[in-house]
Amino acid sequence: MNEMSKNENLDIQIYNFAYLDENTKRMIRRALLKALCIPGYQVPFSSREMPMPYGWGTGGIQVTSACLIPKDVLKVIDQGADDTTNAVSIRKFFQKTANVAVTEKTSDASIIQTRHRIPETKLKEKQILVYQVPIPEPLRFLEPREVETRKMHALSEYGLMYVKLYEDIAKHGHIETAYAYPVKTNGNYVTDPSPIPKFDNPKMNNSPAIQLFGAGREQRIYAIPPYTNVKSLDFEDYPFEAMKANFKCSICGSSDSYLDEIIVSDDGKRSYICSDTDYCKEQTKLNSKKED
Amino acid sequence: MENYPFSENSINSSIAFRSLVNATSYPGRTFQINKLNKPSVLSNAAATILITLCDNESNVYLSKEYNTEEVRNWLIFNTGAIISNKKNADFVIGTWKSLLPLNEFKIGVPEYPERSATLIIEETKYKKVKCNIDGPGIKNKLNIDLPNPELFIENNNLYPLGLDFYFTNDLEILSIPRSTKINIIKSEH
Repeated sequence: MNEMSKNENLDIQIYNFAYLDENTKRMIRRALLKALCIPGYQVPFSSREMPMPYGWGTGGIQVTSACLIPKDVLKVIDQGADDTTNAVSIRKFFQKTANVAVTEKTSDASIIQTRHRIPETKLKEKQILVYQVPIPEPLRFLEPREVETRKMHALSEYGLMYVKLYEDIAKHGHIETAYAYPVKTNGNYVTDPSPIPKFDNPKMNNSPAIQLFGAGREQRIYAIPPYTNVKSLDFEDYPFEAMKANFKCSICGSSDSYLDEIIVSDDGKRSYICSDTDYCKEQTKLNSKKED
Repeated sequence: MENYPFSENSINSSIAFRSLVNATSYPGRTFQINKLNKPSVLSNAAATILITLCDNESNVYLSKEYNTEEVRNWLIFNTGAIISNKKNADFVIGTWKSLLPLNEFKIGVPEYPERSATLIIEETKYKKVKCNIDGPGIKNKLNIDLPNPELFIENNNLYPLGLDFYFTNDLEILSIPRSTKINIIKSEH
């Protein structure tokens, strides 16, 4: 009898609950709690190799794995959508390894793992939002040396970041940064919100939900606790502005949700649809009720 | 199997951790912990924190009342943790009085503020002072009773360095992380 069928016959549990082993989870759990105690500070952790390539959410998946409990209802989104490859495969991964319930509805989920969006539906207390983060260090593109950026955080020396934003204004007349727009967390650490559109930045401020960030390749975990002040960096005369494409969703007609631009014909005709598929469905339902 | 701290280890450790996440995220609020197999001197809540978080990289300081053979054997057998002195401790367990003064515990360094001690305060028979707390995780200011609030104010002044506290009482847990701001309402003399 080969190894595989032996396992099938005996119904041996091949993975620990939610994939990661207990020792790894302990290490991640310690990092997560310290991250919650020091909002916005990046806690180093010994990230594991996961069964997917870097850039596909290995950090987020490790955080989710360390947090999942059997009665969780998991939602996974990629750019707001539940039905894209990355979201589908991560959702399946946890269905297989943790046997948890899954949902597409934001309000039904207890844990939401996200790549590059915050759901439009307002989050609630005790909901956990897990962000997949490619580059956790907001200063990295300005200062490549880790020793230096660490010192800059320790001294709250963020002049360089302001110079970058200022140069944007000098060159373009406004701040060019449209995603991964840096924020200051709890008045202290400048934090990378992950590559969410800056439209989503205000949702991080004073949110009732728990926001956890995992960067697998860069081996960092950080957190924004609920009801924490999160301020997008700006200048008095150039205040921060959350922006989106100035159109309506061509499916649900919503004008206040974040829109994706899609090309709908060979001659380059454009259309706009909600990036948050769950929100779009809900709006469509509401519209049809109104019509009834 | 029934001598292990958790039955169904990976399931129950995850449930325990969720309570810790909630407690740490919402300081000043009480959260429930489940029962586990533990030495009689430890509360369920304190034992749960140690079992859920400690491994062979964790230095644990046990104050006099908790530094018994039973606790040491239980902790080392189940987690591999290192019994340590105050100065190196990552996790500290004791009654409030036995842990004073607090300045012997590590508070982290500016480059690595997370390298600081987590204090687990057992039993609630300390002199209580009415306080009102504010900060990350707190929606509207909360009223709670704390022992020697001036020490928590001092701790918060060190932010982002500082100590993180869990108050444990049987099946209940409440956290006061370093980020919490404390106002004394009135001291009882």
